[in-house]
Amino acid sequence: MVSLVAAAVATLAALVADPTGGAVVGVSVVAFAGGALLGSARVLSWGAAAGVAGIALAAGFGGGAEPLLVAGVALAVAWDAADHGLSLGRQVGRAARTRRNVAVHAGTSLLAGTLSAGVVYGTYVAAAGGQPIAALALLCFGGVVLASAFR
Amino acid sequence: MTAAERERVDPAATEPVDGEPNPDDDEGTTGDGSTAADDRSSREADRDDARPTERRALRAFDTGRWVGVTGVALVLVGLGVALRQPGMVVVGAAAVGYGLYARLGEAGEAELALDREVSDRTPDPGDEVTVTVRARNVGDAPCLDLRLVDGVPPGLEVIDGPARVATALRPGASVTFSYVVRASRGDHEWGTTRAVVRNAAGSRERLTELEAPTRLTCTPELAAGADLPLRGLTTVSHGRVPTDVGGSGVEFHATREYRRGDPLKRIDWNRRARTGELATLELREERAATVVLLVDAREPAYVAARPDADTAVEASVEAAGAVFTALLAGGDRVGIATMGPRDCWLPPGAGTDHEVRGRETLATDPALAPTPAEDRFYRTLWRRRFRRRLPGDAQVLFFTPLADDVPVDTARRLDAYGHLVTVLSPDPTASPSGSPTPGRTLAAIERRERLRTLRSAGIRVVEWGDRSFPAAVASASGRWSR
Repeated sequence: MVSLVAAAVATLAALVADPTGGAVVGVSVVAFAGGALLGSARVLSWGAAAGVAGIALAAGFGGGAEPLLVAGVALAVAWDAADHGLSLGRQVGRAARTRRNVAVHAGTSLLAGTLSAGVVYGTYVAAAGGQPIAALALLCFGGVVLASAFR
Repeated sequence: MTAAERERVDPAATEPVDGEPNPDDDEGTTGDGSTAADDRSSREADRDDARPTERRALRAFDTGRWVGVTGVALVLVGLGVALRQPGMVVVGAAAVGYGLYARLGEAGEAELALDREVSDRTPDPGDEVTVTVRARNVGDAPCLDLRLVDGVPPGLEVIDGPARVATALRPGASVTFSYVVRASRGDHEWGTTRAVVRNAAGSRERLTELEAPTRLTCTPELAAGADLPLRGLTTVSHGRVPTDVGGSGVEFHATREYRRGDPLKRIDWNRRARTGELATLELREERAATVVLLVDAREPAYVAARPDADTAVEASVEAAGAVFTALLAGGDRVGIATMGPRDCWLPPGAGTDHEVRGRETLATDPALAPTPAEDRFYRTLWRRRFRRRLPGDAQVLFFTPLADDVPVDTARRLDAYGHLVTVLSPDPTASPSGSPTPGRTLAAIERRERLRTLRSAGIRVVEWGDRSFPAAVASASGRWSR
């Protein structure tokens, strides 16, 4: 449920950024719904891949940074919530009470995404005003350093 | 109930949850996201001692979630730099954030204080028992993702609400969930409760096994007896089993030559009038028997006609209970034994004490548990032990579904050793309505063949399926000669 709402948000934001990319992200909504119903993590992974491809496509066609960020975070939350739901279904079953667990999980996931996007966007706005190439390089370098530091 | 259990139960017994069918309402009304109810219950719980339940934590492991997100991020950033698209770089950089998030924190041990309350500790069979479990986070770290699966005893069936919950607990907060089980015969003990904790991103997972023993004992009333005719092996004491021994009694047995000292009233006066000779009437002596009720409780005996039906062991125990009371009431000495991996032996005896002991044994002995034991059954060892224990003058009533050839062999051996055997067999192949499957038909044919083998060896067999046990005994004993 949370997953579908988030996926719909992702699609909307991607549509704002670029119609073609948005359509591809729409595929991921279908995949998330199907994966949740079938209980298949593989379908969810394909959905996430489709979503990433859609966002990349939208960005490639020159979509704005803001809607793309929203789409990216929403896609991550959507996949996270759907996959979390699957693991809950396996471990405690459909009938058990899980709302609190799901809410906390989706909340932290959204928080992490928002924080990350906020920091990135802040840097982007602050740095990209005059010299976009330098900002891109900086972002790129920072990303690599961060990622490798936690590898 | 042991002292330790009482200590576990008593502090919680003061809480108002007992008797309320749905104690999770107090959390449900405020919504699962709200913490108002938890605050209240945590303040209450602070008065309890904050010792965590005894636990065993397994090592945390990677769940494989979020794998590859950093790679995707780097690819996006790289592509964005190559294509000079700031949007793509920004999205890629944001995705790095999720890569960090996945490495954040570790799945800790579930330090929970677990309380389990049972609405009735000694229910009757078939009663619905509400079980309320309260878990409080007594650790210092919050459990952001906690899944609890209660260790319901295998012999109890959960009929309402799953015995599982998934939630998130701050330190000091607690979660309450309840479910309803249907009580069945036996002594049931709750096993390990499994708590699965994940870190915030769900990338690490750890299983903790919590030990919070709770016991529920369900002792059925023994059914009023089915009067089963015993075979002729008896003790020297007086009882109700007619024997082939002439003496004093009520039923005619034989006549013999008069000997000096025979009582006057036993002289056959008709014969004296007809032939002029004196003859003495012999009447059947009625004596008490020693009977051992032997219940087949090996794994193959746990068979049932339908997946949801009672097993043959259950039917055997019920019938054994009926026979036990009937025989004791008739003055016979009755003992109980099982044929199975676990040892169970109640020596033959009589009296009220013995009746209570027998009832306890049939209801709660682990050897007669509603689910099969996992130990191995060694046939030869068991036979040797059983024969050593069996009194020489004991007959055996053998309750078995005859699901394989071992009971047939055992019955014939016991019979050959001189312990007269009567086999009482619940029929698990009795077809419910509808056409039987080929497998069921085959099982029924094999079983019929076993019955034939037993009967041809001179062993009495009573079988009952859909009919009640006393009705089956009545119709079978009509056919038997003494």
